[in-house]
Amino acid sequence: MEPEFAAARTEVRATGGGVRVWSGVKSRIRSLAERESVEREMDEELRFHVERYAEDLLRRGVGREEAMRRARVEFGGVEKLKEECREASGWQWMEELAQDIRYGLRMLRKNPGFTAVAVLTLALGVGANTAIFSVVYAVLLKPLPYAHAEQLFNVFQEQAQDSSAKTGWSYLNFEELRTGNGVFSAMAGAQQHQLTLTGHGEPAVINTSVVTPEFFSLFGEKPIAGRLFFDEDGKSGAPPVVILGENLWRGLFGADEKIIGSAINLDKVAFTVVGVVPAKFRFPQMTESQQLWIPLVHDPLFGSWMARRGGHWLQVTGRLKPGVSVTRANAELEAISRRLTAEFPAENSGWMSRMIPLQQMIVGNVKTALLLMLGAVGLVLLMACANIANLLLTRATSRTREMAVRTAMGAGRGRIVRQLLSENLVLGILGGGAGIILAYAGVRALTAFMPASLPMGNEARVDAVVLGFGLLLSAVASCAFGLAPALFAAKANVNESLREGDGRSGESGGRRRARSVLAAAEVALAMVLLVVAGLLLRSFSKLLAVDPGFAVQNMVKAEVYLPRTQYATPERWSAFSSELLTRIQAEPGMKNAAVAVPLPLADGFVNLGFEIEGTPPKTAAESRTANYVAVSPEYFQVMGIPLLAGRFIDAHDVMASARVSVISKTLARTYFANQDPIGKRLLFGFPPDGGEAREIVGVVGDVRDVALEQEPRAMMYAPFAQAPLTGAVMIVKSSLSASSVAAAIRRDVQAMDKDLPVTEIAQMADVLRRSVAQPKFRTFLLGLFAAMALVLAATGIFGVISYSVSRRTREIGVRMALGASRREILGMILQETLLLAATGLAVGIPCALGAARLLGHLLFGVSAGDPATLVAVGSALAGVALLAGYLPARRAMRVDPMVALRYE
Amino acid sequence: MSEKTDVLQGTLDMLILKAASLGPLHGYGILLRIQQISKDRLEIQQGSLYPALYRLEHGGWIRSEWGESENNRRAKYYSLTAAGKKRLQAETEKWSRMADVIAGILSAKAGEV
Repeated sequence: MEPEFAAARTEVRATGGGVRVWSGVKSRIRSLAERESVEREMDEELRFHVERYAEDLLRRGVGREEAMRRARVEFGGVEKLKEECREASGWQWMEELAQDIRYGLRMLRKNPGFTAVAVLTLALGVGANTAIFSVVYAVLLKPLPYAHAEQLFNVFQEQAQDSSAKTGWSYLNFEELRTGNGVFSAMAGAQQHQLTLTGHGEPAVINTSVVTPEFFSLFGEKPIAGRLFFDEDGKSGAPPVVILGENLWRGLFGADEKIIGSAINLDKVAFTVVGVVPAKFRFPQMTESQQLWIPLVHDPLFGSWMARRGGHWLQVTGRLKPGVSVTRANAELEAISRRLTAEFPAENSGWMSRMIPLQQMIVGNVKTALLLMLGAVGLVLLMACANIANLLLTRATSRTREMAVRTAMGAGRGRIVRQLLSENLVLGILGGGAGIILAYAGVRALTAFMPASLPMGNEARVDAVVLGFGLLLSAVASCAFGLAPALFAAKANVNESLREGDGRSGESGGRRRARSVLAAAEVALAMVLLVVAGLLLRSFSKLLAVDPGFAVQNMVKAEVYLPRTQYATPERWSAFSSELLTRIQAEPGMKNAAVAVPLPLADGFVNLGFEIEGTPPKTAAESRTANYVAVSPEYFQVMGIPLLAGRFIDAHDVMASARVSVISKTLARTYFANQDPIGKRLLFGFPPDGGEAREIVGVVGDVRDVALEQEPRAMMYAPFAQAPLTGAVMIVKSSLSASSVAAAIRRDVQAMDKDLPVTEIAQMADVLRRSVAQPKFRTFLLGLFAAMALVLAATGIFGVISYSVSRRTREIGVRMALGASRREILGMILQETLLLAATGLAVGIPCALGAARLLGHLLFGVSAGDPATLVAVGSALAGVALLAGYLPARRAMRVDPMVALRYE
Repeated sequence: MSEKTDVLQGTLDMLILKAASLGPLHGYGILLRIQQISKDRLEIQQGSLYPALYRLEHGGWIRSEWGESENNRRAKYYSLTAAGKKRLQAETEKWSRMADVIAGILSAKAGEV
């Protein structure tokens, strides 16, 4: 039997299906478009029915009024019926939504104070989160702008015992790696250099990327004009070629297409321009502008290093073949390391090869700081939601009557919850919209003040993804703060609410507890943020107090770079710098001048291996390296570095005399613990003079040359005259203004060679400031969030206590009438406040300690569990909480018992 | 008075379709006709008629038209659509088959099992 019935049913469905769908749609469209007339028709139709029924009753002899009454009663509740009819014709939920939204807007307009506070709070929360997320997205999450960026890896070398320093490769080793592996489809090497561009206006120093020919094809980049490098361009003897970056092409050459094929002068060598790459292509340094690319073989410095097996200077990027796993690639790298160590032990023993995803390498260690930022601002949003939820709960209490009426008229619990959620949706949209507008401004401010060293930081903007995040956040927040009051409203006991006065005698325990819990939670969250901010602040102030080991005030530095093609020999470099120094020292007010390469904190550092004469050469297991600086004799006096033993480098240490060196205290302590280092000889040198034996003639104080937060490293100084370089960094201590010093230096340099630009002019005080830019930035931001949190917590407590006082007015009146003094009332309210604050603190302290532990390397000079910070922050928070409760408490004190008891 | 039995939703749909099949009627008229053809044995709640009418119209089984009633007042008249006719037919067949089966079961004598 069953199959027959089923067949009949499907038959009907099949034939009627098409018609059904269409009529359904028609009905929906009609009910949407002609809502009003449909309503009127429904009214008319139902009225007609009732009248006809009444007429029938009349005909049967019932009295007129009785007939009408009976007809209406037996027909049933018209409103509910109409709602059922509306539901049956589809799109009912949309009707209801529109209704709720309109109602919500009306309510918001009627309470402008509440609306303003709620919208502003939400806007701050959503705006701050969206702004921070835009930075996190641009730096951490957005995939790198290269084709299949997940296949790109940075392949580096590190020493077995000192895995903190990731270094590059030598060219010869790189070639072995490139040709001898089976896992990378392409590999390329890159480095950076600064070359002087002459012949187009003022001589300018340009950031140049020095690359192997496969570089651009590795990244899948296409030129916007001309061509990219061929393999032939990388062979020695090939004519020098250069690729321009789009920005330089537009800026300096006016986007002239004819530049392709003509030559430009870099370091006085003619390079033929062969192509232009788009401005958005950037590598290896993602923070500086990429302006020129030349093949490695033509670089004046690195080109000459290509023939050497030792050294670790070439940055290698490889593209993994599709389908090859990382483990397999790592295994292959290990095999290659072993082979290189076996074949060339002198240069390679103790070195391992590894790889990390390119994105990770670029982002480095800012991940912790950024995630901290995101976490902190997330907490702020949570607190904002708690505040708004509290506000809504307060309002919900005064709406119990309204809800009761709605329930009595037939609204189900689901309907009421939906209504409240829709109202909150309005709030959410308003707050979220305002928040996104704030986010635009916030992102602008962030990118303006962000430290320049944040990779890809200036890419942060409110794009589609970030906008989507902001909207999602608003929606989630709306649900979050809307749910609590909605659930409470729906639970209301109808009879009680309809009967009761306006509830002056108290309120349901559940609601009261919920608000107190929210306020206490806010205190806890505020504690976490304040402790973290406090710790960062202490770290930062400790950082600023660090003694760098050299003088910082009134110090101006400037760099001059000598093109190798013009100044080919070390003698010429030495001669140039000593003459320049003499001229500068002759200038009035500038006799304290010196030359040093590299300058601590200002330039990168040079780390070289060394041997101690007379001791066995270092094995693979040891690491004997120190930071190297080439200095002129006046250096230590100008920089204020103290002499601890022996003598400084002086004017007698020239090229012709015996090789000498000066070491730092740390080097002496580490390697000459129980002996006098003076007189011993160290073997070190800037390539190619790697193994020069230099006699130690003096020991000087330590300087922090890498970063203020790092302990001073072992340092070795060589006389510039004995180890000259092609660049010279002048450091001048003068009471003259920085601009006059700079002008004087420029004058002197131009007098010697008019084509030499002077670059990197800065005051050492600024250099120091820039070196702590990142900690400063994050301390500032976190401090800002902590301040926001404090305000939110205070507002939360104020709201809860304030409302509690207004609810308890009658109780307070009674107490006062029974003899309680005003003081006692004050005490009662303050006690309530204190309880809230104490609960919040009790929960907040362990959370804060946990969060502080996550800070890790961001802390400096202060431990994660620092008691002083905890105590200070805790008492401050408690104080603020008490203050927030004191204001409503004063109001309680002033309650006139007569008025309170009379008021119903 | 004869017994009045409660009417389930699916059955109400069918009754409405049947009533409307005999000629266009307004809501009150359909109610009267159902009472009429059931010989007053079925009681239908007045209000529940209209949600059912709206549902049937939404589903395309009946269509409505405004017209003038007997006493020159505006009323909405419902009539069957082609799909409605087919459904009524199918439902009628289903019910009569069902009735046969039940009748067969209930009239089974001891010996026939």
